Amino acid sequence: MISVEKLVKNYGSFRALQDVSFEVQKGEVFGLLGPNGAGKTTTVEILEGIRDRTSGQVSVLGYDPARQNSELKDLIGVSLQATNLPPKIRVKEALALFSCFYSQRVSPSLLLRQLQLEDKQHSFFETLSGGQKQRLTLALALVNNPQILFLDEPTAGLDPQARQMIHGLIEQLRDESRSVLLTTHYIEEAEKLCDRVAIMEGGKIIAIGTPQELRRKTLGQTLLRISCTGPMSAKLPALSEKDFMTLSADRRLISVQSDQPTKSLVQLVRWIDNQKIDISHIDMKSPTLEDVFIELTGRSLRE
Amino acid sequence: MRVLLALIRNDLRLAFRDKVVIFFNYGFPLVFFFCFAEIMNTQTERAISYVLSTVTIVGVLGNGLFGAGMRAVQERENQILRRFKVAPITPTPILCASIISGVLVYIPILGILLVLAHYFYLLPLPATWPSLIVLVILGTAAFRSMGLILAAVANSSQESNILIQVFYMPMLFLSGATFPITLIPNWAQILSQYLPASYLVVAFRGILLREESLADNSVAVGALILTLCLSLFIAIRLFRWDKEERISSSAKLSVVIALSPFLVLGTYQILSGDQYIQRAQQLWEIGDQTKVIENTLELE
Repeated sequence: MISVEKLVKNYGSFRALQDVSFEVQKGEVFGLLGPNGAGKTTTVEILEGIRDRTSGQVSVLGYDPARQNSELKDLIGVSLQATNLPPKIRVKEALALFSCFYSQRVSPSLLLRQLQLEDKQHSFFETLSGGQKQRLTLALALVNNPQILFLDEPTAGLDPQARQMIHGLIEQLRDESRSVLLTTHYIEEAEKLCDRVAIMEGGKIIAIGTPQELRRKTLGQTLLRISCTGPMSAKLPALSEKDFMTLSADRRLISVQSDQPTKSLVQLVRWIDNQKIDISHIDMKSPTLEDVFIELTGRSLRE
Repeated sequence: MRVLLALIRNDLRLAFRDKVVIFFNYGFPLVFFFCFAEIMNTQTERAISYVLSTVTIVGVLGNGLFGAGMRAVQERENQILRRFKVAPITPTPILCASIISGVLVYIPILGILLVLAHYFYLLPLPATWPSLIVLVILGTAAFRSMGLILAAVANSSQESNILIQVFYMPMLFLSGATFPITLIPNWAQILSQYLPASYLVVAFRGILLREESLADNSVAVGALILTLCLSLFIAIRLFRWDKEERISSSAKLSVVIALSPFLVLGTYQILSGDQYIQRAQQLWEIGDQTKVIENTLELE
C-alpha cells in the first residue's frame, strides 16, 4: 500500500529527512514514533502529496504523490496535525462540503453515527470541544471511504476519554482492513495501536519492527519486584546467570532484573513459600518503547 | 461544477452568518446612504445620484479588496486552507467561488439603495438599470479578484491590511467616488486616470444620470473584464494554501500585471487629450453637485 525508499528532504542546508525507508501493508496500522522535530510530519506530508521531497522513491497505492497528486488525494484519507475549519460551519455542513470533492462518498449521516457526532451535527465548529473537533477531523478523513488513512498526531492534546474514543476508532479501521499510517509521540498509543512501529530521531528511522520485536532488541530486562510481610533469608536463591537480584535493607523486598521473568517468578515464589513468609505484593514491569528509545538515543522521548 | 456550486453555497452560508460581512455589506451602506443624503440636502436628481454612486463604489471597493483579500489571508493564517489542500481540489474553484459569492452578497444592497433613492429622494430609476447591475457585478468581481492577488502576495494579515490600504485609499479619494475630480489637484487628476475605480465611477454615473448602456462605457467595461480575467489568472498562479509557503518578492510585482489594463488605459487617456477627465467634468458641471460640495468644503 505504501512504499518509501531512501526518502530525503532538505530545507535549505538543513536535512529534515535522511534515507527514510519503510513499507506499510494492507490492513496494517503502522506507527511513526518520535519526539517533536524527528521528521514524522514531514514524512507523512510527503506521502499525502502536500510537501515535495528532495530525493528518494515514494509510492502510495501505486501513485507517486509528487506527480499524481490529484488522483492520490481522491483515494486517501488525511487527518492533519495542525488544521482548522471555518468557525461558523456546522458539523454536518462540513461533511457534506468535503464529500463533494471526492469521486467516492460516504453518507454524512453514517459518519456522524460512526464518530458519535450525531447530537453535534447542527453545532458550529467553533463550539466543539477539542475531542469533538478531532472526531470531526477524522470523519472528514473518512468521507471518501479511503483504504489508506494518514493520521498525524490524532490524539495530541486530548483528554484520556477523548483519546480512548479515537483509539477505538483506529482499531475499528484496522478491523475493516484499512491501512493506517499514524504518527505519535505517545508511547502507550504506539504500543496499543500499532502492528509495526518505526522509531524516528533526527530525520532518520533508528529502529523498525513490531513493538514486541523492538522491546526484544533492547538490552532492557523485565523488572520483577516481590514484597513480603516478613524478612526473607539473606541467602538468595540461584536463578539464571543473566538475572540480577537485590534485596532491600529490611529484607522485605526482592528485586530481580530478568530475561525470563516468568521462570524467575515461579522460582522466587517457591523460595519464599519454603520460608513460610506471606507475599504482600508482586510487580512486574516489562521494557517499553520508551526504554527502547532511551537505549537507542540516550534520551527520553519527551525531552 | 459540483465542487464550485458547493463552495459558493458554503461561502454564502458563512458570509450571512458573519456579522462583520452583514454590517459592511448592508448596515454600513444604508447608514452611509441616509447620513450623506440628509447632510448633503439632496433635493436634486444629481445630488442623490452622487450619494448613491459614492455609497455603491465605496461598497464595491470594500467588498472586493477587504472582503475577498482579508478573508483569504485569514483562512490561510488560521490553517483552514490546509484542510482543503489535502482534498482533491485546485485553487480555481475556491477563488471563483469567493468572487461569485462576494458578488451575490453585494448585489442585493444595490437594489435596496436604488429603491430607497427612488422612494425617499425621488431618483428616477434609469431605463438602463440592468446595465447598472451588470456594471456593479463586473466591478465587484474585478475588485474581488484584485483582493485575491493582494491576499496571495501578503504573508500575514498585517501585511495584507497595509497592502489593501495602499490600493483602497487612492481609489477612495482620487477616483471621484467621494470627491468630484474637478476638486482635486491636476497631478491627482492625472493619477486618477490610472485607477480602476475611476472608470467604474464614470460608467456608473453615466448609466445612472444619462441612461447610458454598457456599450457606451465599453472602455471601462472592457478594462474591468480584462482586469478580472488577468487578476483571477494571477491569483490562481500565486495561490498559497499554507502560511508556511512563502512568496518571492518578484512574484509581488505581478500585481502590476493585474493593473496593466488600467495602466494602458490611463496612459492612452493622457496621450489622447484627457478624454476621461473631460467626461467626468462634463458629467458634473451639468448639475449643481460640484457647487454643493465646494460650498460644503468652504464652510468647513
